[in-house]
Amino acid sequence: MEIILPKFGLFFWTVVIFLTFFLILRKVAWKPILRALQEREQEIEARLQAAAEAQKKMEQITQQNEKMLQEALLAKEKILKEAQELKAQIENQARQEARLLAEKMRKETLQEVEQIKKSLKDEIKKEVVEMSFYVAEKILSRELRNKKTHDSYVEALISDLQLNPKRVTG
Amino acid sequence: MYSWIQRLYIFLLLVITSFPLKASDDTNSEKFDISATLFHHVLETHDWHVADIPLGGGEYLSITIPLPWLVYNPQKKTIDFFFLLGHSEKEKNQIAQQKGYVLHHEKLYIRNENVLSPDGKPLPEFEKEVEKIGAVWKPKKGSHRVIEQDGTLIALSDELIDLSPSKTVLHMLLVGILLLIIFSKIAKEYQINKDKPPKGLQSMFEPVIIFIRDEVAKPNLGNRYEAFLPYLLTLFFFIWFSNLLGLLPLSSNIMGNISVTAALATLSLILTNINGSKDYWKHIFWFPGVSLPMKFLMLPVELIGIITKPFSLMIRLFANISAGHFMVLSLISLIFLIGKNGTSAGGTIGGILLAIPFTLFIYCLEFLVAILQAYIFTLLTCVFIGQAMASHEEHH
Repeated sequence: MEIILPKFGLFFWTVVIFLTFFLILRKVAWKPILRALQEREQEIEARLQAAAEAQKKMEQITQQNEKMLQEALLAKEKILKEAQELKAQIENQARQEARLLAEKMRKETLQEVEQIKKSLKDEIKKEVVEMSFYVAEKILSRELRNKKTHDSYVEALISDLQLNPKRVTG
Repeated sequence: MYSWIQRLYIFLLLVITSFPLKASDDTNSEKFDISATLFHHVLETHDWHVADIPLGGGEYLSITIPLPWLVYNPQKKTIDFFFLLGHSEKEKNQIAQQKGYVLHHEKLYIRNENVLSPDGKPLPEFEKEVEKIGAVWKPKKGSHRVIEQDGTLIALSDELIDLSPSKTVLHMLLVGILLLIIFSKIAKEYQINKDKPPKGLQSMFEPVIIFIRDEVAKPNLGNRYEAFLPYLLTLFFFIWFSNLLGLLPLSSNIMGNISVTAALATLSLILTNINGSKDYWKHIFWFPGVSLPMKFLMLPVELIGIITKPFSLMIRLFANISAGHFMVLSLISLIFLIGKNGTSAGGTIGGILLAIPFTLFIYCLEFLVAILQAYIFTLLTCVFIGQAMASHEEHH
């Protein structure tokens, strides 16, 4: 029977001890612990959110990078193509110019050669004339030593001169 | 911290060993009184009886820590604080009688000297009442009775209010100090270990704290849970630790005292009713949605309901914990019963072989019961508060 009868003393002390420790624990333990737990949970949540956002941003950046890379590749190809074209053009031009130059040089050389040829011809002509004169003189002088021949020749010349009066005056 | 524990230990050792040899009163009785043993262990006492060490020849070294008596004497209107140091109830009673009290079956009474003269003869006006030993009569205040002690009649009055810090009170204090040490340490760890994963004690109790918060408080109390959480946590850990301490040898079953569970249930009752919403009181005094005669019929039912809820809390916790202690004690007592109190060696060995596995099983079960009952008490307190706080619009 005694076991199921509450005793005032123990009841009183239970209330006192329980409430005292409740008040102390609330201040010393529960409030700091619960606050720390809440703070940590909030922080974890915030960090998870931040991580998700960062990942999203990262993906965006990666996509952007890829796009930029693609663009860069395209640009590179374009530039290369242009460069090749330019190169070909320059080569062509150079070749043409070279050809033109060669042509010009050939022409000039030809002209020069022509000129030299001409002057050589003139000189040769002159030389030949002089030599002819010389030879003719030599021949004449030898022929004319013979009186008879000399006379016949002079006569021939005179007859020729008569036939061609212009030459005498000239 | 170790140094003061060591100091406390040395102090306790000095206290314990300062009590000399005691000739046991009932070692020679052949019959083992199982019921007396059980109740002696389960009921609260005014000393902490640690052990009896047999010294042979019927001599025992009784290791007992005496606890003080603190009583309010309404006749003299005084509060008395004293120790009753003695090796038997007889010796203690002698000291008590010098102070005007009588120790009878481990309870203290006021010795009523107005009824009996010091030599035990009844005063003329009380002759009739004292005719029979054990007579109980109720004058204006308290209850009086006459007992016989050592051949003399003594009149007792139980007006006395016993506020003694008994063994249970001492153990409750120990539980409180333990809680304080553990949880203030954990609170500090949260500050030291900020932004780090919990470790040690912190990681041991954090899941429990979070469980109480998320599974007990939040679903029942809604957005006001934060205000009640410290109370609920204290309640849960106080009951749990008390139950665990009660499983240790040498300690008392704190929650197996109906006074303790009654106190906790009363606090739950108060907490429930001071937080009662308008709807809660309306449901009690003017039950909605029923006819007028039914409203009057529901009034006493609801009023009783206020009490029955915490009453069930009180009984459930008390019954579960004391039942566990009774089970363990009964099984241990089997050894003494079968072994004829140590006189039959075969019986003793048989008893040990029989009782130990069962005791171990019950013990393991008690570890589960310890936390389960703490959880149930906390959860139901929380549910009652939640029900009282709720406005019932959402239900109708």
